Amino acid sequence: MTGSQTLGVKVTAIEQITPLIKHFTLARRDGAALPAFSGGSHVIVVMRGADGRVHRNPYSLLSPPGDLGSYQIGVRRMEESRGGSKFMHDVLSVGSALEIANPVNLFPLEKRGRKHLLIAGGIGITPFLAQLEDLAETGSAHELHYCVRAPEHAAFLTRLQRRLDERLHVYYDSAGAAIDYEALLARQPLGTHVYVCGPAGMIERVIATAGACGWPKSHVHWEQFTAPPVGDAFHVFLARADIGIDVEPDHSLLEAIEAAGIEVPYLCRGGVCGFCRTRVLEVDGELLHHDHYLSDTEKSGGKSIMPCVSRARCRKLVLDL
Amino acid sequence: MLITGIKSKPVYAPLAADAGGRFHLMLGALDGAAPLLRVIDELRVAAPEALARTRLLYASSPNDGSADALFGGSGIAQMMNFESIPALLAEFNRVLDRAWMGTRLYVAGPEGFIGLAMKLALDFNMNQDEIRAEECGSRARRVHCVHCRNTTEDVRTNIVLCTGCARWLLVRDHYSRRLAAYMGVMVDAEAPGELPAIVEVFT
Repeated sequence: MTGSQTLGVKVTAIEQITPLIKHFTLARRDGAALPAFSGGSHVIVVMRGADGRVHRNPYSLLSPPGDLGSYQIGVRRMEESRGGSKFMHDVLSVGSALEIANPVNLFPLEKRGRKHLLIAGGIGITPFLAQLEDLAETGSAHELHYCVRAPEHAAFLTRLQRRLDERLHVYYDSAGAAIDYEALLARQPLGTHVYVCGPAGMIERVIATAGACGWPKSHVHWEQFTAPPVGDAFHVFLARADIGIDVEPDHSLLEAIEAAGIEVPYLCRGGVCGFCRTRVLEVDGELLHHDHYLSDTEKSGGKSIMPCVSRARCRKLVLDL
Repeated sequence: MLITGIKSKPVYAPLAADAGGRFHLMLGALDGAAPLLRVIDELRVAAPEALARTRLLYASSPNDGSADALFGGSGIAQMMNFESIPALLAEFNRVLDRAWMGTRLYVAGPEGFIGLAMKLALDFNMNQDEIRAEECGSRARRVHCVHCRNTTEDVRTNIVLCTGCARWLLVRDHYSRRLAAYMGVMVDAEAPGELPAIVEVFT
């Protein structure tokens, strides 16, 4: 699956649900049912700007997995947007056409888990909304801890309260509330799985605290899509295609390769799935790795790069493409 | 005749302490004391505070001595001695139900015992990175008859008479973690009464 197969959808509803988050409903333009998915899945939304610039951003599906008449996504406006979230917020209106790729789940629930502990920060709530629908059906124990800046930023709160009741714990930064990770993770029954989606600092805290509490890696799950960072322009030579391309500051390496007509397989475009891993044949400077996929050893080894989020600072970079 | 190289056949490694765990739960039976004492020694060096969070369930055999005699001076927080493996497993089930995440399980004993302990741990969704097991003592197998679904215990031969349906079964290396048993299939289905030599292989 390379993302080249897309589904034609149209925006059927837009709702501004917090000062920064818009809630979109998408349905197929031909009226057919959308592909089935499980809680935790995301889709890549392909946006074509008037200037010809193409954005492909991953967004978690937050609608009930049983409802295939439409998909729902939540999009937070990013302050330093390269254009994708700005496009979603400012350009789209009801009736707008979009392309999306088939759903992919890189953040699935562990079906054998006895209990599921969900931890969300801000817009990181979105994958959990669909997972909670799955959990309600299986009946396994679960609870959600949801951190947001302030009450006006607490998206989907009514839906969560209705679904979770006393199993919902909300923490407002504005009120000085914070999760006591040590207390939460030190006393969970055997067979619990923890899932975290939110800012990098939150994910790191959960991984570190779970480790300190003796949790094995197989019970700790996280998802964080990194937006491709803006950086200095650099030049790349694609050895097999025998062409040189320039990567502009606000384009990702993957976008530049695609603009040259070369397809690279991907699932997430956020440094998580590992599908776009590309062999580095030659580099005379520094690879700037921003992904969560390669190990530290692989990153310092300089033999591979994830072009979806990573860049380079060098005069010469040759890729096996 | 005995087909080997089947991937489901469990592979055991010598027990080693996992100081990354916060709680340590040890199960031993028959000749299982020595590997567990070794783990306790390793914990004492790597994470001395872990001994205060270490609990042992031990099924003693007549020529082996009780948990008290074997582990009395080891400094672990709790130990319980059992007269039988079923009694130990019943308590293990209760312990699992009250255990916290961060628990590491160490099992030492015959394979049948390890299998039954693993099956319970699996029911509580413990994964491979939380469990360590070392086989010691008898290699006798639990054999699940694929025809009548009865389990024949303590099987030492390549071919065994099923205690459930009296079919002659070939003991395969095909192992079920869910059943904690090896699969046994009728060996003389096509030529009734024609049996290969019965040899003691699981000693």
